[in-house]
Amino acid sequence: MKRTQELFEKIEGYLAKKLSQEELSAFEKEMAADPELKREVEKHRELHNVMSDKGTLEFKEKLQKISEEIKKEQSKSNVYYSYWKIAASIIIILGVGTLLWSSLIKTNDLSDIYATYYNPYPTEDITRGDSANKLNNILKNYSEGKYDLVITELSESSSVSASEQLRLYLGNSYLNTGKEQKALLEFQSVPKSSKYYEDASWYNALTYLKMGKKKKSLEALNVIVQFNGIYKEKALQLIEKLKD
Amino acid sequence: MSANEERIILEGIAAGDTSVIKAFYKKNYNYIRRYVLQNSGDEADVEDVFQDALVVIYQKLKSDSLDIDVSIRTYFYAICKNLWRSRLRKKRKLIINTEVVGLSEDSEEPFTKNMENHDREHLYRKYFITLSDACKHILNLVFAGNRMKEIAILTGYTEGYARKKKFECKKSLLEKIEKDPIYHELKITSEKES
Repeated sequence: MKRTQELFEKIEGYLAKKLSQEELSAFEKEMAADPELKREVEKHRELHNVMSDKGTLEFKEKLQKISEEIKKEQSKSNVYYSYWKIAASIIIILGVGTLLWSSLIKTNDLSDIYATYYNPYPTEDITRGDSANKLNNILKNYSEGKYDLVITELSESSSVSASEQLRLYLGNSYLNTGKEQKALLEFQSVPKSSKYYEDASWYNALTYLKMGKKKKSLEALNVIVQFNGIYKEKALQLIEKLKD
Repeated sequence: MSANEERIILEGIAAGDTSVIKAFYKKNYNYIRRYVLQNSGDEADVEDVFQDALVVIYQKLKSDSLDIDVSIRTYFYAICKNLWRSRLRKKRKLIINTEVVGLSEDSEEPFTKNMENHDREHLYRKYFITLSDACKHILNLVFAGNRMKEIAILTGYTEGYARKKKFECKKSLLEKIEKDPIYHELKITSEKES
């Protein structure tokens, strides 16, 4: 059976009950004799039934659109994701490169290791509290490396004993101005219960390193490994280096 | 999920609210995706099953025949699984190892009775939306019951061209549907029944 415009129009006329009596009985006879034609008629009937439900059809079209939108969004975020992957790879390459480099030049000099691992404790914006302005000022000096000013401000302030975080700033300032003993004092007075304990332990270990006290530094690093926190990996790395 | 959230989702589906449907889509797609992919389906199957199950819910909401005592998500998952099971059977790839594929688990409602019908309906819609805009436009007018004279005016075609166009679009739609492997399975079963 060939699909022709004529055939389709006949079927449509039949389904819409628009055939004349004569045409109708002729067509019914034809269908009875030709199962293929009968099937074709049923297909048209079904097609018209399904498609006349416009609401469902529009709903389906909407779903298709939504699905395409979501796919687009996801491919976009995948692009971002791959940017991050590239960025992360570069960082890793740089990191590995640095490690290779430093082992190549066999710098077992403790102060060099210290320089590799030491970064000043980072500042956070503190905007709450009554003494916010004064504090921000101190942190500004700190981040600009004006450690003497920080020491002057903080060592006289009573708030240091109340804030373990300030101890970290003060300790770092001492460390950067050659007052290692005082730095140790600050780092070691942060109690184990404090959330800054791990930070303090890390700087404690680095202070010993800077002072050339390898054994003390290793002890402090082992404490950090035991603590099993964010500095653990770094501590393990550093221990390896110190053992070389 | 709270009763209120349930209500928002159901009303959103019934009203065709894009943001509600999109949120539902994103939240549940991966679950269905995992199920279908683990059970010999591919990405295209996932999309078909997911959308068709939503269409089933939409139609039930519209005809006021949605009567569920489980959460919409549970119900939706059951429809998806049933749809996929039925299609998989047609694809003749059914893996009997139920422990691995989990296909025999009981669902909340037996849908199998109407599944055949649904499957055919889904195919018609699925391929209709892939037609050209011109075809969709003219066929929509035809299916809405317009006379060819009116369609000629609405489309700007001559009546003769509108007739020809209608025939071509319909033919192409039928051919697309017939090319789908599932359609043949459906045809065979329905012929056996009749």
